[in-house]
Amino acid sequence: MRRNVFLIGLDGATFTVLDPLMERGVMPFLRDFIARGVRAPLRTIMPPLTPPAWTSLVTGLRPGRHGVFDFFQKESADSEYYALATSQDIQAPTIWSLASAAGRRVACLNFPLMFPPPDVNGWVVPGGWMPWRQLRLGCHPPGLFDELKGLPSFDPRELALDMELEAKAIEGCTADEHADWIRLHGRREKRWFDILRHLLAKDEPAELVAVMFDGPDKLQHLCWRFIDPASRPEHPEPWEQEVIDLCDDYFRDLDRMLEQVVELAGPEATVVLASDHGFGPTRKVFYVNQWLEQHGYLRWRDAEAGGSDAGAAPQVGFAQMTRHVHDLDWARTVAYAATPSSQGINLVRTPPDGSPGVPPERHDELLAEIAHRLRKEPLVLDVLTRTEAFAGPHAARAPDLSLVLVDGTAVSILRSDTLVREREQPNGNHRWRGILVASGPELRHGARCDEVSIVDVAPLVLHGLGVPVPEDLDGQLPAELFDPAALARRPVRHAPAAAPAAPVPAAVAPSDYDLEEEAAVVSRLRALGYLE
Amino acid sequence: MTADDRILAEVLELLDELAGDWEYDGPIEPTTRFLRDLGLESLDLVVLGTKLQERYGRLPFTEYYAEIGRRPVEERDVTVAELVEFICINRAPAPVTGA
Repeated sequence: MRRNVFLIGLDGATFTVLDPLMERGVMPFLRDFIARGVRAPLRTIMPPLTPPAWTSLVTGLRPGRHGVFDFFQKESADSEYYALATSQDIQAPTIWSLASAAGRRVACLNFPLMFPPPDVNGWVVPGGWMPWRQLRLGCHPPGLFDELKGLPSFDPRELALDMELEAKAIEGCTADEHADWIRLHGRREKRWFDILRHLLAKDEPAELVAVMFDGPDKLQHLCWRFIDPASRPEHPEPWEQEVIDLCDDYFRDLDRMLEQVVELAGPEATVVLASDHGFGPTRKVFYVNQWLEQHGYLRWRDAEAGGSDAGAAPQVGFAQMTRHVHDLDWARTVAYAATPSSQGINLVRTPPDGSPGVPPERHDELLAEIAHRLRKEPLVLDVLTRTEAFAGPHAARAPDLSLVLVDGTAVSILRSDTLVREREQPNGNHRWRGILVASGPELRHGARCDEVSIVDVAPLVLHGLGVPVPEDLDGQLPAELFDPAALARRPVRHAPAAAPAAPVPAAVAPSDYDLEEEAAVVSRLRALGYLE
Repeated sequence: MTADDRILAEVLELLDELAGDWEYDGPIEPTTRFLRDLGLESLDLVVLGTKLQERYGRLPFTEYYAEIGRRPVEERDVTVAELVEFICINRAPAPVTGA
């Protein structure tokens, strides 16, 4: 029997926003969809961040076992250099690879860390930090990009993210830029939906269909105070009222699109709606490298320069990846934070300037000391060691310490004259509880369940497809979502632990490259330890 | 054709293919600069590096980017020839052939 699963990602979606929208009649379809399905808060992983969280959702594993910890990844366990996280950092099978191996076709649209595109049985158009100029390289199979160019609404510039606008959204826009930002995301969702509809019209459409709408995350970061009823201005100025109305329009249009996706799925499909993390307001920014400097663990290279945060919009690219390499006095630094998103602190092991790093015998003592002192800070709820946060075979590439801050306080790695800055207006930032809504012939109707873990979604998807669930996943089938009789008729099937993900094959075939020579080079790379 | 010539030809071919999707309609040559001439952002260069490593093996791109980042702002750019030179210097050595 053919079983279809539609996985709809709503990046950053939270019931604290969606419930009021449903109550006010802005999202009537979602309200009715939930009424005939099952809902639960979805507990995310540490850190509550798009790349590791979505990777946990599609692997059923926690980051220490799938290998993705941040937007940027340490080059190696002892390196102080960071590279952009890619699909090649995912060290475990995904729902895409497992479904493909079981002979199912998949369509994966706008999910992060899908570049270079994995060689799945179906179609991939990557999302995340995929520059529009190279979207062609991210599409799978070869030829898909040219096929999609025939769609009237196909526009790579708006399908991919504009990093300049992304930076503004985090740091703040002018009043008139809010409206353009919201409208852009409405158009983006429509363009992704049109690709989905195109792929579903094929003679042999996918059985696992996954599409991500990431506007909720983008809008909530910038417009939290216009979206959250509790945060809205009491007497909005005209431009603020326009933003409030546009945000409502965005979610109204999203609701209509969800309705169309569910219609395309059909009544026999299992539809899973999930987010990677929740959202909530934040007013504070914690300058973690400044804290490390004040406590004697870090020295800036130019000690005389003052705070450099003012006007320093975050950059994406090699400037951000290598900022710490230039800014730190490595001979006098023992710990630093390389990225704001990881909320992590690293000990210095192999300084880029050749200075001696912290000797291994001092690591535990130093980390315990830093964690102890950080825990005294009012904004710090907890400090997790690598073992506590990221147990698993890939933990060595994770931060040594991870901060858990009060009320989603944002982290900055920049220099500052102060340890904590208060924003004039609250922004949105990530929280632990996302959403899970599911509907299908075997699932309960109108039920509210207790918290489900994000690593339980992969088993839910695989079982929905009729694909055996690897027995070594961190997650398990969330049985409480199912009609007990249906689950008794078709219990979960398990499979032996799956092999690690194979290296992603090259999407561009060497043209005049001598295949024998290439094979010899690959053999040599393997011998040198570059390839497994 | 030497291995270095072949890599230059392959990189130019890849850029030509991609440039067809951009607004750029000028020639792409070894002296073409990625940021100023082609209008790429640094993230483009990072992602392009990922693509090139698929073909040429692991390359020390982050150290390379760090070196570029040390330059004065007006000199933070890379030509096609410089990128190809970087690949040629750092790619795995060609296998020894012969009897």
